[in-house]
This record gives sequence, C-alpha cells and structure tokens, in this order.
Amino acid sequence: MVNYGGDEVSALVIDIGSSSVRAGYAGDDTPKAVIPTTYGYHRAPPDADSAMPDVADPTQAGTGRSSKMYMGQFGPTVWREGMEVSNPLVDGLVHDFEPASALMRHAVEDIMRCNPSDHPILVTEPAWNTPANRERMAEIMFEEFQVPAFYIANTGVLNAFAAGKGSALVIDVGQTMASVTPIVDGFVLRKGLVYSPLPKLVHAHARHILANPNPQRRGIELYPHQLIANKQAVEVGAPPRFTLREDRLKATTDSWRNWYEAREVEEWIQSVAGVLEQGWNDQVAASRPPRQYEFPTGYNSWFAQERYSVGEQFFWHSPQLMASNPNLPKTIPALITESLRACDPELRQVLVGNVVLTGGGSLFAGFGDRLSSELARSFPHVKIHSPGNPVERRYGGWLGGSVLASLGTFHQLWISKEEWAEHGKVIVGQRCK
Amino acid sequence: MSSGVAPNPVCLETFQELKIGKKHKYIVFGLNPTNTEIIVLKTSQSTNYEEFIADLPEFECRWAIYDFEFEKEGAGKRNKIVFVSWSPDDAKIKAKMVAASSKDALRRALVGIAVEIQGTDYSEVAYEAVLDRCNKGA
Repeated sequence: MVNYGGDEVSALVIDIGSSSVRAGYAGDDTPKAVIPTTYGYHRAPPDADSAMPDVADPTQAGTGRSSKMYMGQFGPTVWREGMEVSNPLVDGLVHDFEPASALMRHAVEDIMRCNPSDHPILVTEPAWNTPANRERMAEIMFEEFQVPAFYIANTGVLNAFAAGKGSALVIDVGQTMASVTPIVDGFVLRKGLVYSPLPKLVHAHARHILANPNPQRRGIELYPHQLIANKQAVEVGAPPRFTLREDRLKATTDSWRNWYEAREVEEWIQSVAGVLEQGWNDQVAASRPPRQYEFPTGYNSWFAQERYSVGEQFFWHSPQLMASNPNLPKTIPALITESLRACDPELRQVLVGNVVLTGGGSLFAGFGDRLSSELARSFPHVKIHSPGNPVERRYGGWLGGSVLASLGTFHQLWISKEEWAEHGKVIVGQRCK
Repeated sequence: MSSGVAPNPVCLETFQELKIGKKHKYIVFGLNPTNTEIIVLKTSQSTNYEEFIADLPEFECRWAIYDFEFEKEGAGKRNKIVFVSWSPDDAKIKAKMVAASSKDALRRALVGIAVEIQGTDYSEVAYEAVLDRCNKGA
C-alpha cells in the first residue's frame, strides 16, 4: 500500500460538522457520504427485549429497525414511534464520542462500503478543538477502527490552503458556529481566533418571526410533513386546511419535533431569507420583491421585508436586543474586529487582503457582498475569496483534506499505527500542529 | 501544517547565485510533474519587469524570487529580494492547495528575503504594488 511519491494512498477523509458528517476518498472533489450528524434513538427498546446492545455498539448501529440508533439518509428524518433525536456535537466540538464514532462507522462502512483498517484516515477539527478531544479521536481511530495511519487537520488551515493561500483570514459560518481564524504561513494564529454561536441566534430569530403572529398574518404552525395526513390548497395568506395524523402525534417525542421544526425553519431561511448588500435600510428592504413560500401545512404567504431582517442578524444587533441580552453572540463584523485587534498591525493588511469565506451558512443570499461592503468601510484593500460553487463552500474543509491526504509526499507526515503503539497520545500533539 | 514537499537543492544554489553572485534577476520555482519536489523552472537576467510578469502563468501556481531594484526618495538606489507566491484564483484547487501547503518549505530554505507577496491576480504583483511594499519596509 505504501507508495511514496505517487498520489495513490487510498486515504479517507472525514469532516464532522454540526449539521452533517462528510466522508469520502482523498483525491475526490466531493465527499461520497454526507449524512446528518443528528441521529435518532429509542430511549427504551420498542420491543421488551431487555438485553438490547449498547447504544453505540458498532455491530448494531445503523442496521435498521432492530438497532436502537438510526443514522444516515433513513435515520432521524423518518418518523418512528417514540424516537428521540440527539446530536453528538456541542458548539462544533465532539461532545459525545460514542455516537460520533458510530456515525463515522456508518458513513465509512455502510455507505462507502470500506473497511477502515485498510485505509489511512484524515479527520478535520475546528481551530478551538481541545487537545484531549483530538487525542480521543486518535484513540478511536487506532483502537476501534484499527486504521493503519491517521492525521487530524485544522479546518481553517485546510480552507485557506484550498483557496491557495498560506496566510488568510478564514471566515467560516456553519450551522451552529461562526468563526474567524487568522492563518499565517499555514498555522493558526491562536490569539486571533474568535468564534460565537451566531448562526443559532439567526435561526432563533427566524423561528420567532415565523411562529409569532404579526399584523399581516397569523403565527405559522411548523408541523413537519410526516405528521400531516392530508392538506388542501388554500389562497395566499388564508388559514391552512389540513388534518394531522393523530395516530402519530401522541408518540412523537419533543426532541424529534423540535429538531424537525428547526429543519422547516432552516428550509424557509434557505429559500427565502437574504441580507441587504449595503446595510439595513427600510426603503431598500421594502423595494425588494417579496418571495412566496409554502409550509408543509399548505399555508403559504409572501415574505417581503422580514426575509431581510433575518440575515441582518449576522451583521447588526439592535441596541435594545443587546441591552436585554448581555451574552448575545458577537456579529460577524465584531468578530473580525476582535480577531484583527489581536494580530500584529503589519499582519492585518495581509489578512484583510486574503479573506476566505466558507461554510454552508455563508451561502446565505447576499452574504459575500455585504461582508465586502462592511470590510471596505474599515480597510483600503479588501479581497474576499468566496467560491461560487456551493459544494466548494459547504465542503471546503473536506475538500482541503481530500487534496492534502491524496498527496504522496504527505504520507511521511501521517501518524502510523506503529508510532501510535510506541509513543501513545503525545504524538498527536507533536505531529499535527 | 505542510504537505511534505521539499525543495530540490538546486533551488537553494540558484538562490545563492542570485543573492551573492547577482547572476540572475529573477528565479521562477514550480513543482515537478509528480508533485514531489520544488524545482527551478526558469532563471533570467532580464530587467524588464513585464517579462517577469509574463512568466507567471494565468492558471498555474508558481513561486518566484525577484531582485527588486528601486529608487528610494532622497536615499538613492536600493535592492530588495522579493518572494512572490503566485496562486491565481483560476488555478485548479489541487494545484493551489499543494502550492499553499508547500510554500513554507521553500520560503524557510531561502534566507535573506525582505518582502513577501501573496499574489492571486495580476494587480497584486504589478510593479507599483511591489514598489509600494518595498518602500514601506525600507
């Protein structure tokens, strides 16, 4: 298998995000397996079998109805009686390793049909990952997956490299976290690293807009389609006419319902919401064409100004909101300012001239334009690199890892199984900087 | 983090010829076809800056050393060694990725670089832009 110099190392790349786990072959331009990070499970086995295997028992995970964990395409999105959902990530970091390793196993073994012990695996990590966490990841890879070689790489650095830059200011907007990471010559400048759970606030704001009635319309019910038996077409803005599946309603758990409603909100955001390119302005917002959107209940409406107020949350918070909530996540401009303030003055210009915008959350309509107009106010030479191809943006970290792991010369940097056996955990911190 | 690609010893020798012997005006480095080594692609004595720019291809990544000579206002002639990492936006992702992750190996091997420039389009490596950077640092 060792093939120095050539570009064939048959490595796998795994990138774990809050919304999805991406896995694929190094050298490919898109991940082969993209599965939701959220998984479903039954608190108690539906059949009265008390000898059910452990939740994360890898032999049982993902095999379907007989197991307690439901992952992947037909996992959490399928309605099941009494199924709870959970996500192993908290603020972008793996919090619960058992389901995380089951998810990785599902992606690699069940979807890609690979045996992990045959392939070196490169895993990505956010810049704020803890040493304990990455060592645990290495342990899982070597001890559980029996991989021949392993490497853990920083998503910020990978994104900068994928954009062809050794030094860059990487702005990564994900599903739960927004971060600004200064990269200098391929290394994260720790003191300039800032992040906040801003996307969560944006999401909560959108949900608030939808769920609460306003003068033009009633509050919108966010029933997922799995709970709707039938619906009829209604006029725009008219009350929806639908019947719920009463048989399912009772057996639906709060966690599943919450998660699915969040998905409905997410879908609405992605189809309708946007951000004004030049900062908030009531007239401009009112002059933009409204957009129609239909919810699973059949209720449909036109959304005009409010669709822009959602995106505005990324960039600006009203003083009232800030006063009422001292722990409000910082806006993107505030994060950038804070990050740059921590960097040396001579570096600032280099970083601002090499901004890399990435992450699925940055695909928000108008995000790139707004960012460049915000930055242009404070800096003379701003250059933002934002790939137009959504795949490159969404899977930027994975893509960078894919190229890196496919290099024959990179082979000498992998941590091999022998080295792991000899040095143990310390080698992770030494090798993967 | 780096890709593990190392510069060929010839790179260093050629750089010394430029720095100490002043035999070259500029050197263009690139990767060998199998992406395992950094090699010297071209050396030139031409003092025409446009010629140097013409050696930076539109869709491929390069690194270059340029012995930049300029008049400092009221302080006479100066020479500065400029390191350019050329990684155009339209290059392939893989090429950009390898170039970015291998740059450090080359950059560290070459001692005596005064100015470093990251170029992604021609405006960033234009004569005026480089002159501006050299003047600032002097």
